Amino acid sequence: MKESSKYNRQIILPEIGEEGQYKLSKAKVLVVGAGGLGAAIMPYLAGAGVGEIGIVDDDVIEISNLHRQVIYKSSAVGKSKAEEAKLMISELNPNIKVNAFPEKLSGKNALSLFEKYDIIVDATDNISIKYLINDACLIADKPMVYGSIFRFQGQVSVFNYQNGPTYRCLYPDENSNALNCEDAGVIGVSVGIIGMFQANEVIKIILGIGTVLSGKILVYNILNNEQQKYDFDKSYIEHINSAVFEEKYNKSEVEEINFKSILNEINSDKVLFLDVRNEDELPKISLKNQIQIPLKNLENEIEKLNKNQAVYVFCQSGIRSKIALELLQRHQFKDVKSIFGGVLAMKQLLKEEIKV
Amino acid sequence: MIEIKYFGAVAEKTNCEFEKISFSEVSLQKLLQDLNEKYKLESLTFSVAVNQKIVSKTADFTLQTTDVVALLPPFAGG
Repeated sequence: MKESSKYNRQIILPEIGEEGQYKLSKAKVLVVGAGGLGAAIMPYLAGAGVGEIGIVDDDVIEISNLHRQVIYKSSAVGKSKAEEAKLMISELNPNIKVNAFPEKLSGKNALSLFEKYDIIVDATDNISIKYLINDACLIADKPMVYGSIFRFQGQVSVFNYQNGPTYRCLYPDENSNALNCEDAGVIGVSVGIIGMFQANEVIKIILGIGTVLSGKILVYNILNNEQQKYDFDKSYIEHINSAVFEEKYNKSEVEEINFKSILNEINSDKVLFLDVRNEDELPKISLKNQIQIPLKNLENEIEKLNKNQAVYVFCQSGIRSKIALELLQRHQFKDVKSIFGGVLAMKQLLKEEIKV
Repeated sequence: MIEIKYFGAVAEKTNCEFEKISFSEVSLQKLLQDLNEKYKLESLTFSVAVNQKIVSKTADFTLQTTDVVALLPPFAGG
């Protein structure tokens, strides 16, 4: 089949023409998330003849996905979403290039993936990944086409378009706890409608037609069909550069420290030693600024601790303290380290101060 | 009357999508404080728009009776 007859009905639109079709064929779009939004976006980009489409998703298809992720067959339950989506859209349009990345987007792969594409589509269902996509788009200098859903409402916007406002300008507070579809519930048509708005923004950006939703957020309610647009400006609350990005997303996950390197701090008022063992565990240890909260009680008693103080966590051998460290980090503790080897290692260095 | 629109998880807390509150003159901060007390919104993250424009929640800003305020939380579903 001739390419031009395939796309004839859109080529005859004066806003597209042969030139617009050529732009589509040269465009490279990365869709992050092959769930409900992605399932709506990808077939329309493929159908329109977007030349190269990348799909990032490490999930497998679950039966509870099928009501809204309508590109997947029932027989594909258990298979990779990225691979199955690639199969489906390649069948829809064999003339385009499709790349499946069945992996989780992270600080480690985001920049290298984004570099290869012109437009990044956020079709994820997780707030912290949205910040990661936003920040990686800022560094890689790519526009981010954002969509998300809460029950029967959806939001759409385009961030970092021609140096325009970003997700952080709209939502500067990163520590939010919005519900995803799994927790809040969702119906297929709402992700379909919002995904379609996103696909539309992608095509407008490629073609250079219409007004891109940059500096504006569209909020759509499918129950009453009310649609609102809100303007927002670029703000510079947090500057994201490569160093900030690395620090934020690529520092080692669990921070361990050797007791030897902090021996000079054991009498300091500035640090707190947190013992997460149970009260009856031996040997006892007593340092100047020390508190004992068994790991099982830590979450409930977390207000006993100061989030801004440096905290060194220890247990018997250094395993529970790593769990405690992760818990504290989730509660926005800024400076926490786990003491490698726990009391058993500390005892070696502190023999004279240990009261057995 | 100041009209207030609620979206997403905020509307679930307020149990309505909009309401009108009569005030002659009130600062944005005072309004947000009152809404926080009335609906316990502290646990939620949201941005605030006045007349379709996102503004800083801490802006020193007196609302006029014809203003429309909107509370917009981030959504996470997809």
